[in-house]
Amino acid sequence: MGMHAMAMQFIRIVEEVRNVDDLAAAVQAVTTELGFQYFALTHHVDVLAAEGTAIRLHNYPARWADYYDRNALGVSDPVHRASHVTSVGFCWSRMPEMIPLTAEDRRVLAMGREEGIGEGFTVPANVPGEARGSCSFASEAGRPIVADLLPMAQLAGAFAFEGARRLWSERGHLPKPPPPALTDRQRDCLLWAARGKTDWEISRILGVTEETVARHIKLACARYGVSKRTLLAIRALFDGTLTFTDIFRR
Amino acid sequence: MLHVMQTAARPASDGVFRAMFAARKSVFVDLLKWDVPVIDGTYEVDQFDDAHATYLVLADPDGGHLASARLLPTTRPHILDSFYAELCEAGPPRGEGVYEITRFCLDRGLNARERRAARNTLVAGLAEHALRAGITTYTAIAEMPWFQQILAFGWLCRPLGLPRVIDGTMLVALRIEIDAKTPTQLAAAGIVPSIDIRAAACVAA
Repeated sequence: MGMHAMAMQFIRIVEEVRNVDDLAAAVQAVTTELGFQYFALTHHVDVLAAEGTAIRLHNYPARWADYYDRNALGVSDPVHRASHVTSVGFCWSRMPEMIPLTAEDRRVLAMGREEGIGEGFTVPANVPGEARGSCSFASEAGRPIVADLLPMAQLAGAFAFEGARRLWSERGHLPKPPPPALTDRQRDCLLWAARGKTDWEISRILGVTEETVARHIKLACARYGVSKRTLLAIRALFDGTLTFTDIFRR
Repeated sequence: MLHVMQTAARPASDGVFRAMFAARKSVFVDLLKWDVPVIDGTYEVDQFDDAHATYLVLADPDGGHLASARLLPTTRPHILDSFYAELCEAGPPRGEGVYEITRFCLDRGLNARERRAARNTLVAGLAEHALRAGITTYTAIAEMPWFQQILAFGWLCRPLGLPRVIDGTMLVALRIEIDAKTPTQLAAAGIVPSIDIRAAACVAA
């Protein structure tokens, strides 16, 4: 069977699955067809803190998964960070060219290898307004990746993630309640704050008083239930109220 | 409101058309750096912008461009069969009820929230238009991140072949099947025409 036919077979199965166990079985099967042993479908959040609202489905060895969760690696995982700087699937061996790896990153990757997880291929999956996610396929340490099958892995990863997204959404976890809405003026003030401007500078730019700017930002913080403008900017970026393009556009 | 328009033979004669071609220039040429023709330094217009194309244009009450898409009949030369046939495992789908979605364009002047509202309204409008016009299948070409979003709209979408890197960009050709269930599938995924834009349409009407 050709790669496209294999991909289509997987896609049809994913379209039909109605529960997480069936999805896991389908992804496990395609993982094997792709020449890998392990898969991980996940939102890039601290999965323990997210209490089941975030997508997470994998067949990693239990010991490694426990360690990973206990240390909340979902938010700092170098594989996840690397997947935020590309739009297409990448091999883990390319990570040092993609993001700066810290000593801790290297330690985590080495520990994964000790637990038997070798080279991997990660497909980023980002749906605007939701947590970033990905679908990873990984080999047992020492087994090479079959490069010819990576285009199929790219497709399989995209559909596997969407399949998981659909199931989690049917469970009522996604989509999340609408984020707090800012007024246009609050958003304008936050945009300039995110660009590093002080209240005084923002007041000159927008032609209002410094007190007005401070009040807009304070009220915006209240709407998000945060006390610091840095956190406000991050939350607004996360839910799409602001985009990186907005901030860097001149 | 959502305009469905044909006959772009004299594009500069209509405000909504003009705004759309200018928005396309801003998005596809200035932002995405596509190598496509530009007229008068302002309008992005190519060889497929002819009397056979259909346009869905979401505009504000003053005719300002919010979002737009161009539909090409697949019974005539279109982008997938003219330039990207290699993306299709079994050749590009063609037929009376098969239209290619091209130049899906969200205005650069919108913020993130407005973009999503405009996108959802246009996507829902594409499904409604298909049902009205007897279109059963849309085809399209997408970069991978956009493909993931198209999947998340909840309609029945499948690849026509394996993704390929063409001129440095990974592209995939896809088909979307439209039937009476599609609007419900879209709504279940949160793709509904936005209230704001409906309100704007009422004002325009």
